[in-house]
Amino acid sequence: MIETLLQTLLNGAASGGVYALVALGYTLVFSVLGVINFAQGALFSVGGYLTFLLMGGTIGVNGALPGWGLPSGLPFALALLLAAGGSGLVGLLVERVAFAPLRRRNAEPLLALITSLGAGVVLVNLLQLLMGAEGYAFPPSANALAGLPDVLVIGGARIRTIQLLLLLISAAAVVVLSLWLERSRGGRALRAVAEDATTAQLLGIPSSAMVRLAFFLSGALAGLGGGLIGVSVSLPGPYFGIGYGLKGLAVLVLGGLGSVPGAIAGGLLMGLAEALVPGEASGWRDALAFAILFAVLLLRPSGLLGRRTVDKV
Amino acid sequence: MIDNALLVQMLIGALLGLSVYLPLAAGQLSLATPAFYAVGGTLAALLSTRWSALGATPAGTLPLGSFVLELLLGGLLAGLLALLVGRLVLRLQGIYLAIATIALVEIVRVAILNLPFTGGAVGIFAIPQPFSTAAGYLLPALALLTLAGWVCQRLKGIPLGRAMAAIRDDELAARCMGIDTTGAKLTAFVLSAVLAGSTGALAAHFLNTWNARQGSFDASVTTLAFVVLGGSRSWLGPVVGGLLLTALPELLRPLGDGRLVLFGLVILLGPVLAPQGLITPALLQRLGRWGERDQPPASESQP
Repeated sequence: MIETLLQTLLNGAASGGVYALVALGYTLVFSVLGVINFAQGALFSVGGYLTFLLMGGTIGVNGALPGWGLPSGLPFALALLLAAGGSGLVGLLVERVAFAPLRRRNAEPLLALITSLGAGVVLVNLLQLLMGAEGYAFPPSANALAGLPDVLVIGGARIRTIQLLLLLISAAAVVVLSLWLERSRGGRALRAVAEDATTAQLLGIPSSAMVRLAFFLSGALAGLGGGLIGVSVSLPGPYFGIGYGLKGLAVLVLGGLGSVPGAIAGGLLMGLAEALVPGEASGWRDALAFAILFAVLLLRPSGLLGRRTVDKV
Repeated sequence: MIDNALLVQMLIGALLGLSVYLPLAAGQLSLATPAFYAVGGTLAALLSTRWSALGATPAGTLPLGSFVLELLLGGLLAGLLALLVGRLVLRLQGIYLAIATIALVEIVRVAILNLPFTGGAVGIFAIPQPFSTAAGYLLPALALLTLAGWVCQRLKGIPLGRAMAAIRDDELAARCMGIDTTGAKLTAFVLSAVLAGSTGALAAHFLNTWNARQGSFDASVTTLAFVVLGGSRSWLGPVVGGLLLTALPELLRPLGDGRLVLFGLVILLGPVLAPQGLITPALLQRLGRWGERDQPPASESQP
C-alpha cells in the first residue's frame, strides 16, 4: 500500500517536473515581454524528435527521407543537451519571425498570440513532413542508461529508472535556472528588462539581446522536456508536444503568470494531482489540469504565487 | 475545384468566424467557440440518432422540421452553457480570459470523449440527413449566416452594440460612464455561443459523423485565425476570413502534406503583413464611398 503510494508520488513528481520545465519556458518569455509564446508546445515536440535523431534513431517509412539516420548515435546525456540547444535555436527563430516584427511596430499583444500559434502550426507540420505521422520508440540504448537497471527498487517501491532520472534532470535544470536568474549578472540583467525594459536600456542593458536570451532559454527548456518525455514514454507523433504545451499553460496560470517559484510549485502540484487520479477514471485525467486551472482562475486570478495587479486609470 | 460540399464548409467557417468576432467586438478574446460548436453538434447527433420522435427513418433521412428544431436546441444549450460559464470567466481579462476559454474547450473535449453516451473516440456516426445532397445544406447555412450578419450589422445602431464598442476601446472608462459592462460582455459571449451551437448542429448533420475532435484546441486556433486574417473591425472581416481559410487547405490539397505548413505560414505571416486583416476600416470606407458616388462627398477631413 505505502509502496504503491510512493510509486504514484514519484511518477507524479516526475511528470510534474516536466510540466514545470514547460511552464518555466512560458514564464521566461512572459516576464520579459508580457506575452505568451504559444509555439512552446511545438518546441517541446522539436526537442523530442531531435533527441531521437541524435541518439541514432532512423526516420520511418512515412518520413521525407525513409531510413535516414545519423551514422552512430550519441549517448543519452549529450543528445539531450544538444537537442535542448537545438530547440533553443528554433525558439530564437520563432522570436525572429513571430515576435520581433510585431514588437518593432508596437502592435497589440493579441497579434503575437496568433503569430506564435502560427509558428507552432508550421513547426509541427514540418516535423510531420520530415518524420511522418507515425510514433517512434527510442532505440534500446536509451534505456541502458550508463548501465543502470531498468527498474529500481526503493523501499519496496518499484520505480522505472528513467522516471527517477527525469525527475532529477528537470529538478537540476530548474535549480540551475533559478540560481542563474537570482545570482548571475546575466540573470539580473534579464530580470531588470522584465521589470522595465526602457529603464534597463537606459542603464546600458541590451534589452533586445536579453529578449533573445529569454527565447533561447525558453525553447531549450521545452526541448529538454520533450526529450525527457520522449525517452521515458515514446514519441506518439509530431502533435504530442501540443498537449504538454497546453498543460504547461495551465501550470503557468496555476502558479501565477511570471512567477518562477510559482511555475515550479504549480508543475509539481499538477503532476501529483494527475498521478492520484485512479486508473478507472484515467480518461478524465487530461481534463483535471484544466479543471484545476479553471478553479484557480476564478478563485485567485493572479495565481497561487503571483502578484496582484491593479488597474490604473 | 469548389464543389457544394466545400461551399457548405466555407459557410460553416464564416459562421464560426462570426462567433469568435462577437466577444471580440466587446474587447474580449474568447477561444471558446469550438467548445460551444462541439456541444451543439453533440446534442444534434444524439437527438437525431436516439430520439425517435424526431422522425429519423432507418434509411437515414430526417424531416426538415426536426433539423430546424435541432439547430434551435443546439444554440439554446450552448447559450445556456455560456450564460453559466460566462458569469464566471468574464471577470477575467486579456490573456487570462483566453487561457480560461482554452481550458473550457479542453474540458468539453475530454467530457465528450469520456461520457458513456457520446460514443468515445469513434463518436456518433450515421447521423440522419435532412437533405439528400450537400447542396441542400447551402440554404440553411446561408440563412444562418445572413441572420448572424444582420444581427452584427444591427448591433452598430443599438445601445448594446455601442456599449460593446465602448468596452473594446476602454473598459474602465466605459464602466465609469455608467455602462453595464458585465451585461454587455455576457450578452456578446452568449450570442457567440448560440451561433456556434447552431452551427455545430448543422455541421453534425452535414458531416454525418461527430466526435470529440470537432472541438479541440486546433479548432480554437483556426477559428481565431479566421478573425485575424479577415480583420476584426467589421463583421465582414471574420466572414471573409472564414470563407478563405476554410477553402485554402482544400484548394492546396494537391500539395499533399505540405499544405498545413502553408496554412501555418498564413497564420504566422498574416498579422505581420496585414495587422488589421484583409477587411480594414479604410477599405470599408472606400467601398462605402464608391457606393455613394452620386451623393456629395462627405466633409470629414481625417488624415
